[in-house]
Amino acid sequence: MKNLTGIRRDLAIGAVLTALAIALPFLTGTRYIVTQTTLFFIWAIVVTQWNLVLGIGGIFSLAQMALFAVGAYATAMLGYYFHMPMVPAMLLAALATVLVSVLIGLACLRLRGPYVALLTLAVAQVLFLLITNDTDCFTNPESGCMPLFAGVRGFTRFGDLGFRAILKSKFYIGHYYVGLFLLVLATAFAIAIIRGPAGLAFQALRDNPGYAVSRGISRFKYQLWLFGLSAFFTGLAGAFYAVNFAAVGPIVFSISVLLFLLSMIVVGGIGTVWGPLLGAALLMLADEAMREAGDWRDIGLGLILAGFVVLLPRGLAGLRFRSFRR
Amino acid sequence: MTALLSLSGIVCGYGANQVLRGISLEVAEGSLTAIIGPNGHGKTTLLRTISGLVPLTEGTMHFAGQSIGRKRPDEIVAAGVVHVPQGDLLFPEMTVLDNLQMGAYLPEAAKQMRIRLEEVFTLLPKLRERRNQIASTLSGGERRMVGIGRGLMAGGKLLMLDEPSLGLAPILIDQIYEVVWQLTRTGRTILLVEENAVRVADRATQIALLDNGTFAWTGAGAELMARPKILETYLGA
Amino acid sequence: MDVPVDVWVQIIASGLTLGAMYAVAAIGLALVYGSLNMLNMAHGALMALGGYICFYTMTRLGMPALVGVAAAMVVCGAVGLAIYLAAAQPMLRSANFETQIFIATIGIGAILENVILRAFGPQPQPQSLNLTGALVIGNVHIPNQNLLILAVALGLMVVLSLLLRHTRLGRAIRATAQNREAAQLMGVRVSLVYAQVLALSGALAAISGIMVSSLSGLLPNMGGDPMLKAFIICVVAGLGNVYGTVATAIVLGLLEAWIQYVLGVRYSFALLLLLVIVVLIWRPYGLFGRKQVVRL
Repeated sequence: MKNLTGIRRDLAIGAVLTALAIALPFLTGTRYIVTQTTLFFIWAIVVTQWNLVLGIGGIFSLAQMALFAVGAYATAMLGYYFHMPMVPAMLLAALATVLVSVLIGLACLRLRGPYVALLTLAVAQVLFLLITNDTDCFTNPESGCMPLFAGVRGFTRFGDLGFRAILKSKFYIGHYYVGLFLLVLATAFAIAIIRGPAGLAFQALRDNPGYAVSRGISRFKYQLWLFGLSAFFTGLAGAFYAVNFAAVGPIVFSISVLLFLLSMIVVGGIGTVWGPLLGAALLMLADEAMREAGDWRDIGLGLILAGFVVLLPRGLAGLRFRSFRR
Repeated sequence: MTALLSLSGIVCGYGANQVLRGISLEVAEGSLTAIIGPNGHGKTTLLRTISGLVPLTEGTMHFAGQSIGRKRPDEIVAAGVVHVPQGDLLFPEMTVLDNLQMGAYLPEAAKQMRIRLEEVFTLLPKLRERRNQIASTLSGGERRMVGIGRGLMAGGKLLMLDEPSLGLAPILIDQIYEVVWQLTRTGRTILLVEENAVRVADRATQIALLDNGTFAWTGAGAELMARPKILETYLGA
Repeated sequence: MDVPVDVWVQIIASGLTLGAMYAVAAIGLALVYGSLNMLNMAHGALMALGGYICFYTMTRLGMPALVGVAAAMVVCGAVGLAIYLAAAQPMLRSANFETQIFIATIGIGAILENVILRAFGPQPQPQSLNLTGALVIGNVHIPNQNLLILAVALGLMVVLSLLLRHTRLGRAIRATAQNREAAQLMGVRVSLVYAQVLALSGALAAISGIMVSSLSGLLPNMGGDPMLKAFIICVVAGLGNVYGTVATAIVLGLLEAWIQYVLGVRYSFALLLLLVIVVLIWRPYGLFGRKQVVRL
């Protein structure tokens, strides 16, 4: 019954953290802290899902940011071209992300680890190139030529969650709670997977693939399911990102962001329940510290990433909590 | 006379699971020592520890006067310990000839390459026939021969054979063992791991029965045959 | 399709050039993966480093081209060695080595690129090692630089083939890649082989980087796309197969040149990727691949 105590502990930790998060805007008056924490929520969602894919599913995918971008771009485009309200747009965008992830999964998941990594990286790069190299004007508003996917400039003014109307200048607090809500959902999903029967199935696939297969656990099917489901929340995070910042551009594809998020997982601990959140928090703090450093930021991130992988491969969570895997 | 190879208090294994727990053994020059015992109890691990593939947790190992306990596998080979591993471990994409030549990789052995190659081909004529064949296309018996031939190319003072009869049909086993007996006749020191105790019992200078990580019994080959009880208990023979 | 002959020749010429450049980069990757099971994601940064060192040696230090190339090879070889010692060797025994070294080298690649960025600035630079003029046959214009690249790539492949087949190091590399434990039992000092492979791969990356930058200019992140393409070539060929990698590189180069002519540069990578995915669905281990082994 180890899992039951595990779940209890997770729920307890989760409850405490959620309570603290709910209280935060009231404890601090600073807008900057609230908006940065909202950004932290967004990255945390992506990282918890990526952790499921990498750490539990054993899928070496680097397409996470591409999926995030699909969610962001879909939301922006639904708002921009179809004037769809943002809440249904976000949901549709998340579903679109699932669709894209299933396509990617079908193409890549039958292959071995390193192949998956390279192909998913290539897919992300290709999407980036398709967006930025597109110079044909799809529409031509007064602001200038707009390619189908908005090219290098990106989308702005595509919709709003409505908080500006209700809360006026404190609209960002509304966004904060939406972000928190999404993070709680995403984390609950992650815990359910990790502590639940799916988690056991994946552990069996890792530890003893022959036996797992003989018990009817198809690696491909399980991985595809996990890939698709985690894509839902990733796409949702992307959608929320678009709505929160009221802008979407190809910056989400940058290596910088990939590096940033990868570092979060590595520092926190791949495959653990709370590792990703811990990593996300620490990296955001480190990023604040390195904000003045300019060029050194990426060097710093690279050092953190490489350093942690070599010296502390289980991440920080792996030190205290017994890592779920290996 | 000091032993060629002497092990004392060997403890080693994989992680928390120490497979060998207190092994001591002396192998005299020119002798044939056989390690027998039920499967999974550490016979292969013992050879892999001697050749350096598995690190030593505790204990000492001495070969020809040198301590080899903390040495790398390539250093141990250079000292003269040649390990013909279980499962052959051939280089699958290389030809028989290439495989044999890899056996004489070390500079000392490379100098003797031509001579040794002739000796190996004489001892194992099948290999001469198939010398340009890719190793992965060989049959089980042929692979075994390449493995042994490769070991012979290295020269060395101690030849360790891990289950030379594994997975082979009886007639092939006879052929392989003919080769082994020829080698003992030429005065080579051989350390052999074998599941079938009876086959080696009357030729072996020394037999050690490995059970559950320690030697349950050691003695001369003939003694073992005179104790059917041991054969029964440990080997179900 | 109605395409005049000289255009075909042009396409083939640039396709072969592209293929040659990718092949040089891909061989380095194939060697490293075949021997160590390591996907070196810092390879692209090493390519950029090589390009910049050559440029710096020739332009700021005023040295001739050969010195520039030599300097680039030495520096990148040394960095490759450093990557082995600092990142790969400490993790060799861990169960998750493939994944960990992949991530670690992503980080190292980022560090290298940003060091280059700090040292040389973000503005694109033309590569100094650049032959001017072209071979003109009727309507066909083949730049001398392309011919040089082809010649160098060919020469390199011959040298590498000789190295792998006939030298002691070459046999040690092949043996280690095919069965590491057996190689150790033959007296091969495996960690030394790994170090040498990584240094060799670094030197190859330098040459490839000089080639690529001579055609498309120097930028700190110039290595990213070529590295990705080189990896894809390795994957399609079957990771570790050296001859297959070269053949695949040439085919892919030709395809890329043709797609660029027909559809424009914009879609070439996308279509290439689509093709690659189709091939992999058909042959999951790559066209020539079976296991991870360095084969000739």
